[in-house]
Amino acid sequence: MKRYLIEVKKMALKLRGESSQYRLPPTVEVVRGNIIKYGNPLGLSGKEIAGWASDLNLPREGEVLLYTGGEYQLVPYIDGLVDMLTKVDQGSVGFSLMMGFRNLVDRVGVNPEKIVAGVLSGQRERYRNVSRQAAAVLQRMGLQICYLGEEELYSGALLYEYGFMDDLRRHARKLAGLIKGTGARTIICLSPHSAEVFKLIYPRIIEDFHYEVKTFTEALWDLCNSAPGRLVASFNGRVTVHDSCRMARELGITEEIREIFKRIKGVSLIEPEFNRRWTTCCGGPGKVLFPELAGKIAARRLDELMSTEADVVVTFCPYCLAALDKARREGQRSIEIQDIIEFMYRGMAE
Amino acid sequence: MRSLARAFQKYTTELNRASNDPNIQLALARAVKSYRENTAAALKRFPHTVGLAEEVRAIKQSAVERMDDLVARAREAIEANHGRAYLARSAEEALNLVADIIGTGKIVVKGKSILGEELEIREYLLEKGNEVWETDLGEFLLQLRHERPMHIVSPSIHVPREQVAEVFTEFFGREIPPDIAAEVGAVREFMREKYFKAHFGLSGANVVAADCGALVIIENEGNARLCTAVPPVHIALVGIEKVVPTFQDAMKVAEVTWRYANYPVPGYVNIISGPSKTGDIEKVTTYGAHGPRELHVIFVDNGRSEMAADPLFKHGLYCLRCGGCMYECPVFQLTAGYFGYRYLGGIGAIWTAFVAGGLENAAPLIYTCLRCGRCVERCPVSIDVPSMIAELRRRIAALAY
Repeated sequence: MKRYLIEVKKMALKLRGESSQYRLPPTVEVVRGNIIKYGNPLGLSGKEIAGWASDLNLPREGEVLLYTGGEYQLVPYIDGLVDMLTKVDQGSVGFSLMMGFRNLVDRVGVNPEKIVAGVLSGQRERYRNVSRQAAAVLQRMGLQICYLGEEELYSGALLYEYGFMDDLRRHARKLAGLIKGTGARTIICLSPHSAEVFKLIYPRIIEDFHYEVKTFTEALWDLCNSAPGRLVASFNGRVTVHDSCRMARELGITEEIREIFKRIKGVSLIEPEFNRRWTTCCGGPGKVLFPELAGKIAARRLDELMSTEADVVVTFCPYCLAALDKARREGQRSIEIQDIIEFMYRGMAE
Repeated sequence: MRSLARAFQKYTTELNRASNDPNIQLALARAVKSYRENTAAALKRFPHTVGLAEEVRAIKQSAVERMDDLVARAREAIEANHGRAYLARSAEEALNLVADIIGTGKIVVKGKSILGEELEIREYLLEKGNEVWETDLGEFLLQLRHERPMHIVSPSIHVPREQVAEVFTEFFGREIPPDIAAEVGAVREFMREKYFKAHFGLSGANVVAADCGALVIIENEGNARLCTAVPPVHIALVGIEKVVPTFQDAMKVAEVTWRYANYPVPGYVNIISGPSKTGDIEKVTTYGAHGPRELHVIFVDNGRSEMAADPLFKHGLYCLRCGGCMYECPVFQLTAGYFGYRYLGGIGAIWTAFVAGGLENAAPLIYTCLRCGRCVERCPVSIDVPSMIAELRRRIAALAY
């Protein structure tokens, strides 16, 4: 114990020395460090990320790869971490010590963000199930999918977002090798962030990265066309769509979801004032560095969506889902917020 | 080198404070609503504007490619019109040029100019012992409040009428009610005397035509018209990216600018190409009639050439300064110009990095941008701010590690 205390003291001194240098905020370093070391932003284990598929026996090889990137699984932990960050002064000695403590205890294999985040997280099951439901919907539509299981790595989208291109290159090479090993030609991404990185960034930084990359929504729309009878959805009521920034503006995907809803009897689609390319952001991208602000942006977007008087808001991005649902919970709003995956699965389940 | 983490912390505190300030939130909510309604109505009434904006993007693209040549041509044209034209490579050079012309102990009336903010010209001239008055109502208010602009078109967007009344009551030494017409009237009365006593009028320009040297200044209040026409000497500060090849091009840029700045048509469009002149007596051209007898135009580089040389960042020079992107930015809608340094919002982060502030001051802004891309949708010339932000983050990360 005494030895650890000495280590903590040394680490605090080291951090004080670093504070005079040109360094980014500690939270950015935490995210970067975890991706480099553990393969995902919060240092979750492969077992935790792939737990949703443990009893599904999905093959590791096949034509179509279902890629979760661990993002839906990570989201509740991020929310937990953000909850903690909003309560901690990031410039305080306490925070610095905690970051030092993280580095210290990392050496014995424990990751404190994970512990803290895990304690505050109350939504893990829901988000783990999104990936499970995605596989179920695709299979129900007749698609054979493979999955990387515990070996699956995060796409590295946050390395790109924060500017760590060299780290992204190294990370992307590892992931590209794993994807190549599956023999897949098509990658179905559950998150638009992964799809964006695979479509727009990987081909620039990785040789021989030539895949047909689809978002879940695009894949669903293709399946609706090729196997129309297999679309099982059941909902009677008013639905409004929250277009994610990445989907609508970066990837240009806006109409597929609306076409899918047109095929579901009982759905009455109501557009919010700001829709498609004019959608407004959920605040998600600012969550790690500016959590308070991100929460307010989410609350505003929720107000816009609620003004449609829809029964349910449908999203297609883990970060939008988490941000809007958090705003709903905190604002004690009555509207339901679901991912398209959950919305489709509900038809199957009923 | 300094700690970005510490800078982030201070900046985050300011952002959070702004987003919790009921006055800022009230003023921004009103402004965003009005902007959206007014712009929609203006574009509906003049639907050709959208096509014209595409044309303007092409004009700006071509102009930025040959910026040096166009500035040289504009300078020649201004000199041929009996004005004086200069090129300042740095902020320091620009300030020295202005100081050489103005000297000390003078009265200066100033129109709104974001380049003026970039150079901190008012503070500089005050330090030199001059009396300087901002004549744009919003800028005047900020001068009294010792604040920096919170929006490039509507600088005091964050101050509701109730607070304006408090500031004016104190400054004018009499009760000014929280009634906008009364507030405007008080400033009008005070400023009128200043225009006629001033030795110098200082302005910016929205766009400059290289072929004839005409400066186009868009305004609503009439203050720019008075600043540039009443004092005996007019000094204009112009960023070198503002020059376009022809007068017709300049008018297209101006029309798109005002339309996306929320106006069907502005109150005034000033076109100034040289000192005031007359040929009424025996057809002899004589300078210094009713208006200024001298016009000095100072073109300012101060980092713009560096932007123009970069294949990605040269797009940032297309900015018309209509301010539309800011009204649509989710962060700006909550924090106003606190998401900014001298230049504001996402595009402001890019300008801060290259022109006014440097990468260190820009860093917190660069990481504040959500890269959501809504600004691109609103921008009349479709400036891809998110891509530039991504590249700047890459550069910061490379410096930090």
